[in-house]
Amino acid sequence: MIDKIKRPFGYEPILTKEDLKSKKKKEDQRANDFWGTLVRLWQFMRGERRLLYFIIFVVMITSLLTIAGPFLVGQTVDNYLVVQEFDGLIGVLVFIFFVYLMSSATQYLASFLMVGLAQRTIYNLRVRLFSHMQELSVRFFDKRQHGELMSRMTNDIETLSQTMNSSFIQFTTSIVTLIGTVSVMLYLSPLLTLLTMTIIPVLIFGVAFVTKRTGPLYKQRQRRTGELNGYIEEVVSGQEIVKVFSQEDRTTDDFEKRAGKLKHVTFWALLYAGFIPKIMNMLNNISFAIVAGAGGLIALYTDGLVTIGTIVIFAEFARQFTRPLADLSNQFNQVLSAIAGAERVFQIIDTQEESDEGTIEDQTIEGKIDFKNVYFSYDMEQFEPTIRDLSFSIDAGESVALIGATGAGKTTVMQLLARFYEVDSGEVLIDGTNLTDYKRHNVRSQTAFVLQDPYLFESTIRENIRYGKLDATDEEVVEAAKLANAHDFIVQLEDGYDTVLELDEGFISQGQKQLISIARALITDPAILLLDEATSSIDTVTELKIQEALEHLMKGRTSIIIAHRLNTIKAVDRIFVLEQGQMLESGSEKQLLEKKGRYYEMINAK
Amino acid sequence: MAIALLCMLTELTVELLQPFFISKVIDDGIVMEELDVVWLYLGVMLSLSLVSFIAGIINSYFASFVATNFSYDLRLAIFKRIQNFTLTTLSKFPTSSLITRLTQDVLMTEMLLYMSLRIVLRAPLLVIGSLVMSFVVNPTLGFYLSVLTPFLLIFLYIAAKHGAKIFLRVQKRLDKLNRFIQQNLEAVRLIKANDRASFENNKFFEVAGKLKNDTVSGLRLVESILPVLLIIMNTSLLIVIWASSDLLTAGNVQIGEVVAVINYGLRMQGGFSMFAFIIIAYSRSKASSERMNAVLDLPITENNHETINQEAKAGSVRFSNVSFKYPGSTRYVLKDISFEVAENENLVIMGGTGSGKSTLISLIPRMYDVVEGNVYVNDINVQDWNEEDLRQTIGYVPQSAILFSGSIYENLLWGDDEALHSDIIASTEKAQIHENIEGFDHQYKTIVGQRGVTLSGGQKQRLSIARALVRRPSILILDDSTSALDIKTESALWEALNEEKATRIVITQKIVTAERADRVILLDDGRISATGTHSELLEKSELYRRINASQNEGGHIDD
Repeated sequence: MIDKIKRPFGYEPILTKEDLKSKKKKEDQRANDFWGTLVRLWQFMRGERRLLYFIIFVVMITSLLTIAGPFLVGQTVDNYLVVQEFDGLIGVLVFIFFVYLMSSATQYLASFLMVGLAQRTIYNLRVRLFSHMQELSVRFFDKRQHGELMSRMTNDIETLSQTMNSSFIQFTTSIVTLIGTVSVMLYLSPLLTLLTMTIIPVLIFGVAFVTKRTGPLYKQRQRRTGELNGYIEEVVSGQEIVKVFSQEDRTTDDFEKRAGKLKHVTFWALLYAGFIPKIMNMLNNISFAIVAGAGGLIALYTDGLVTIGTIVIFAEFARQFTRPLADLSNQFNQVLSAIAGAERVFQIIDTQEESDEGTIEDQTIEGKIDFKNVYFSYDMEQFEPTIRDLSFSIDAGESVALIGATGAGKTTVMQLLARFYEVDSGEVLIDGTNLTDYKRHNVRSQTAFVLQDPYLFESTIRENIRYGKLDATDEEVVEAAKLANAHDFIVQLEDGYDTVLELDEGFISQGQKQLISIARALITDPAILLLDEATSSIDTVTELKIQEALEHLMKGRTSIIIAHRLNTIKAVDRIFVLEQGQMLESGSEKQLLEKKGRYYEMINAK
Repeated sequence: MAIALLCMLTELTVELLQPFFISKVIDDGIVMEELDVVWLYLGVMLSLSLVSFIAGIINSYFASFVATNFSYDLRLAIFKRIQNFTLTTLSKFPTSSLITRLTQDVLMTEMLLYMSLRIVLRAPLLVIGSLVMSFVVNPTLGFYLSVLTPFLLIFLYIAAKHGAKIFLRVQKRLDKLNRFIQQNLEAVRLIKANDRASFENNKFFEVAGKLKNDTVSGLRLVESILPVLLIIMNTSLLIVIWASSDLLTAGNVQIGEVVAVINYGLRMQGGFSMFAFIIIAYSRSKASSERMNAVLDLPITENNHETINQEAKAGSVRFSNVSFKYPGSTRYVLKDISFEVAENENLVIMGGTGSGKSTLISLIPRMYDVVEGNVYVNDINVQDWNEEDLRQTIGYVPQSAILFSGSIYENLLWGDDEALHSDIIASTEKAQIHENIEGFDHQYKTIVGQRGVTLSGGQKQRLSIARALVRRPSILILDDSTSALDIKTESALWEALNEEKATRIVITQKIVTAERADRVILLDDGRISATGTHSELLEKSELYRRINASQNEGGHIDD
């Protein structure tokens, strides 16, 4: 039997005895997080505080009116009905009606204002989280699942949103009502009030029992939701692979496991949170019985110390007395889950943004690039350094091709130049100045980077090309598309440049995506051009055609390209051959051929 | 479920009986000055409270159990359905929207069910029960109490309906927000490279702003429910008092009855105010359940073909008059394609950008269904194959290597769950990636991030090839999957693949790869423009000569 209660439906308890025992330390920690997070939320509402005070004021009026209503009804019963004296009853009833009307009106006013305030705060929090994410390093995103981050933006913030709408008003109402009710009860009958108060210790014990358990459980629940979100996002986006490898059973199993964990923790969280209203209900009923029974006894014994009207009213007040307490404790649970969500949001906001301590702004870049003894590793724990002691120098306007085996570090060089990552040691210089001395946008806005995996947004082709230069005219867009040899296939599409690219549809081939992303780079007028396998999925005939455009583009700019095809490589001034993150040889094609080194071998490997 | 409801009814009964007992205490006890009666009812009320509490706790257990299991089952059902989607169906639902359906929408219904088991049903029962009891106590007073109830119901109906509409919009906005963030995460490098953070921020303000506005209007609507409810209910109470003044004079009611009816009125009020919460929950979950049903109601993809008995290994592929266009498009990507690949043949497909190469091979594992014509594998129409068996025979390497969060080893097991360690090693050796993996500090246990972000392009491609080889496929399909490999690695790879006994269909841009092939198919704008060996095509195809020239002119350092 006991085991059945401990492990209902075969659910193992999540919180161990130790979890609850070592509460001293744990509670301190939780309290810190809890209050810390609460204070930060409060800071978010800085601009809204005046409105908030006003709402509190309105809520107080509502609460007073809500207390006044039953009080007046009780008085009416006593003064008119019991004594069967009905003169002026109508007038009193009309008065009470207006009290109720005002009570409803102010209640709506408070909710109306609060909904606006809460949603504005939520909006601000979302926007803050999002814009902070824009400032985070690429490394941060490498380590996290997209879906997990998305969950913070939606699931966590939504939980907070739902709580903020109701909790604040409830909280204020509860406190005001509690104070008001107790005062009236004391006024009516101190004796009955004392009797009613006997339930308080039970109440405190009950609430403490529950909240100690629900806090950590809700926290876990939000985390599990995030994990599940991450899993779904990854599997659904990779559905093509799931299908061709017939892995539906595996993904379903994995999903089942994760959903099961979520179910498990949710069960316990809901269970404990659900105890509160039940405890309240019982206390409610008991206090009701105390008032009726004890009140009746007192009325009988003392003859006139307690009237029937008092009992009626008191019964109602005893309910009103327990209700705000119940609400408070109920709210507390909701608040715990919302705070658990908010904490996860602040976790991201607290993540160090990409350092941007450089001071050089609005400087036109010439395009001279230097690497000095650069070392870099993506993940020092898992991988050997990708770049080791790499040094080179590229003059402004010069074009360079990076070649070498896969994993030699070609893409990494470009990523370091784009400052997606910071070097572990050594220096990257642009125009003789350390990259970190520039404001990020100063360099990035003058660099065009065509990435290995062409990514297009879900919007029109025109908007996608324009992404390279936001104020480009339609003519400029078409011009760029023509240069990139994308124009012909674009006009063949039903909606031409206004074709909306759907993320998951196969209208556009990988090669065509590359053409569009080249157009997107062509439309900018960068000082530095980085092309990472920009044409790898494009057929060689088309490639020849864009070759000219690319050469044209490279003229007068510092260009670094990664490519496999000779005619692309022949067009550059110098070739760098990389091996295992180090420079093996460099020089013009002619020099390298004469040197008969690795490049020569590669050419003649055929 | 039944137990939960039973417990709830017990609680409810106790609650409903309390005012009845109070009227007894007053009328039979205090007014009659019967001390024993007061004691009796005090005892009864206290013990009933305890019964109700125990029932409440048991109800908590069952309600939590039922609600969490319901949402778990629902989640699983939706997820399984998604796994059963064809890619065509899938393309109708953006990933982000499926995510919100699986998390937020399920949560909404979970909350509704949980509340139903605890209060939702209780609220109407409390209202009806209070009403009935007030009629029992005194029919006339009961009538006055209920006179305004119809207005209340009409109001609730309208509010619920409108609320559902607005919250459906809110959920859609949430989808959009989710989707926007997903795109943003995928394009992280592109956004940074173009220095577009503030541009993205502005777009996000708009998306989040719309969500805010709709949420505000939805919540403001439902927040009006409680105040309206209260004013109507309180007015009813006043009507009862007013009416009872006449009835008391006439001696038709007793004061205790009036008190009891007023008490029932207050309880009804409590019941109705729960309605406010219920309607929020209801309208939100109605919106959510519509969205979930949109997934669940889709017809199940038929996959009931029986496993076909295969002679050990075959691997022929035949296209006969195949035409294809993507769902939702009118433009044919493939037009009247016919060709045949024999067992263990080595076929290369070439053609211009957008000529339909990737589309063509995606029809073999039946990622999409043909619009006209037929595709045969081992002389059996792919439509007649058991889907899993069909895909079991195929090793597919997509153009962009998609890996999943987890260790390298786990990723390789995708090829075949039951693969032995030695099979895995054999495959990675053939794919020329074994040595690289050994070089990592954690070797096969190295964790790759989502989509394998921490690996280089060439490493991802080779892992993806190894994953396909783990299947020991009879047909190996490579969609331009060696583009990031250097010459040495690539030729070693082809050498190793030559030892595989498998039909090979390879999309490539490289003439040198075509030279190794038994046969080349040249696609041009969705049609087969020529087929033959390298040298045959050099002779008969102008397009092929152009491709050849484009590569010989400059050559290819990988060649």
